[in-house]
Amino acid sequence: MPRLSREAWFGIVVGVLVVVTLGYVGFAALQPSGSPANAAATTVSDPRLRALLAEPHLVFLKPSGADPTQDVVSVAPLQQGTTERFETGLHCQRAYFAGGHGVCVGRDLVGSGFFFDDSFTAGRTFSQPGLTSRARVSADGKYASSTVFVTGHSYNSPGFSTNTLITDVATGSSVDLERFTVTKDGQRIQAPDFNFWGVTFAADGNRFYATLGTNGHTYLIEGDVANRTARVLTDGVECPSLSPDGTRIAYKHALPGAQREWRLHVLDLRTMADTALAETRNVDDQAEWLDNSRVTYGLQDQGPPATLDVNLWTVPANGSGTPTLFLAHATSPAVVGRP
Amino acid sequence: MYTQLRSGLTQEAQAGERVPWWRVSRNVVNLGLTSLFTDISSEMISTILPLYLVYVLRMTTLQLGVVDGVYQGASALMRLVAGVAADRGGRHKEVALAGYGLSAVCKLGMLAVGGAFGPLVAVILADRTGKGIRTAPRDALISLSSPRERLGVAFGVHRALDTAGALIGPLVAFALLTMLPGRFDVIFVVSFCFAAVGVAVITVLVESRRSPETASRRLSLRPALGLLRLARFRLLVLAGFGLGLATIADAFIYLALQRRVDFPPTFLPLLYVLTSVVYLVLAVPAGRLADRLGRARVLLGGYAALAGVYLAVLSSAEGAVLVLGSVALFGVYYACTDGVMAALASSLLPAETRSGGLALVGTSTALASLAGSVLFGALWTTVGLQVAVVAFLAGLVVAGVALAGGLVWTRPGPVPA
Repeated sequence: MPRLSREAWFGIVVGVLVVVTLGYVGFAALQPSGSPANAAATTVSDPRLRALLAEPHLVFLKPSGADPTQDVVSVAPLQQGTTERFETGLHCQRAYFAGGHGVCVGRDLVGSGFFFDDSFTAGRTFSQPGLTSRARVSADGKYASSTVFVTGHSYNSPGFSTNTLITDVATGSSVDLERFTVTKDGQRIQAPDFNFWGVTFAADGNRFYATLGTNGHTYLIEGDVANRTARVLTDGVECPSLSPDGTRIAYKHALPGAQREWRLHVLDLRTMADTALAETRNVDDQAEWLDNSRVTYGLQDQGPPATLDVNLWTVPANGSGTPTLFLAHATSPAVVGRP
Repeated sequence: MYTQLRSGLTQEAQAGERVPWWRVSRNVVNLGLTSLFTDISSEMISTILPLYLVYVLRMTTLQLGVVDGVYQGASALMRLVAGVAADRGGRHKEVALAGYGLSAVCKLGMLAVGGAFGPLVAVILADRTGKGIRTAPRDALISLSSPRERLGVAFGVHRALDTAGALIGPLVAFALLTMLPGRFDVIFVVSFCFAAVGVAVITVLVESRRSPETASRRLSLRPALGLLRLARFRLLVLAGFGLGLATIADAFIYLALQRRVDFPPTFLPLLYVLTSVVYLVLAVPAGRLADRLGRARVLLGGYAALAGVYLAVLSSAEGAVLVLGSVALFGVYYACTDGVMAALASSLLPAETRSGGLALVGTSTALASLAGSVLFGALWTTVGLQVAVVAFLAGLVVAGVALAGGLVWTRPGPVPA
């Protein structure tokens, strides 16, 4: 066998690597993606879906396993343990629907989202780079809010921060909560480490509650979209969710001493009385009120063995009872047309 | 980049002035290509790593912080050890190859370990260790493959190719993820293939530069630390530490600009791309300038550009001019400091301890920058942006003046081979 020159060896090695690259990419491209989005989506013309949308129902995401951008916007009756569900053709990582308008955040991994209407047709898109976290729409459908984690861009990056936008659904213009004037005990406060997340809108569509993280505190703030102002109400409240009657906040209560461990609590805004709910597992979600006495929230399937699947659970909002499964294979709940 | 048919110190030295300034040794170009492919590979991974960790592995942000810390700290530590090891017997190519090879294998390792947190952190640690291992011997090899009066251009060419890779990597990653959503395995495999091409380039096409005088025999930290007795080199290590400490990371600067000028955060990634483009374009001219005007002058000029960025942040200027001007100055800063620092250090170091010496100056500057970032973040939060920037500006001026004054004060030592 003739001795090959160094250049020939190099050519062979590179040739093999090119073949491997193209072969693997090609093989991956040809594989059926198995993503639910490719399944035939139900159209709103389906009479059963039309009937369902006329009743109180749940808009949620059906988790897709490995690729969270393929979670499917779905509809189910507002009925515990129902097996009836309709999948739409929309998919993203976090969705919400209220007042005839929906928002879907994280339709790709680089951070873009879109709005959709009550026929589940995608409309205006927007860009919000980061890791998708929360989404909400005000009851009148006027404003949408979305929170993402912004990651650093270089080795010396300042670390994690969040970015929360409130967007006018009709015009698409948005405002960053960091532009809001925040007061605490009547005094204006500001700091470069301000992070906002987890907006929940009040019934009037203009007032909202959210979490302001700064210097180790997680303040519950009450904000005013039109005035671009917010004031600190209390400390230690993350991802608030306002009850339909506007009197209580369900939220993530950080376990003292533990890191990244939360329990569901309910705070009465009139008395500021705080109640731990009966759910004893770690909940990292923005809860949704099923009615004025129960909340629902997503919990990853902890198995054993733990999987990437997520289920919706429900627990009474007054600390009594025990958590029960509300809807399997579901996350990102939005209750529409509450009774 | 044009290469000579026959490379090597002696031929180039003999060719003398007739060799155009922009020609560099083929070894330098091949090391540049190694870095280009390796950077495509590693930037593909660092682009998607947060997405992969949070989305697919459902990691918490705290765990992500652990990974981030590992990512930053691992390479600095290994750099010194490997730099010194490479000097022993002049095995720069072998040690650099081990570093490139380790990082390449780790790309497949990420695919293999799946979602297990501990093993994944171990693979990431090994990947960054590979980067730490290769940096100093590779730079030593670049300098040993280039005549002393052309070190600036040689490092400029290498850094330009390296930066090109860093620009291409994220594009490849995003293109693949757009085409094949959620297929992180494809990213890992393609990233491995790019890394393997880089390994093939250095294995087959890069020649080692081993000569009797470049071969120190014993493996010991002492020769590298003994370098600190060289007055001008000691000065460079200290000044590098001081300048690094006074460097505000681009992430902070761009965040400050974004808040001041109020452009959409969507544009933030674009600023990093623009900075890299300016660096890419200016790396070779800055190297040439360093060879002509003096490397220390260009290095100081680079830090003057950084001071310009600080002043821009402090100024009352508004709008696109401020942002684009700052981005351009940041690119100038990179072009005039990164490769030029390596060229300057190389020119001060004897051949037999070059890799260890380069590791020493590189590690001290990198660790100082890391400490500076933490310090700046803390200052910004406690005393505010303006005060923090003024403090860092003062630190930069002091360190720069100390370096300039020190270089005038100390006589140039005997010229090492």
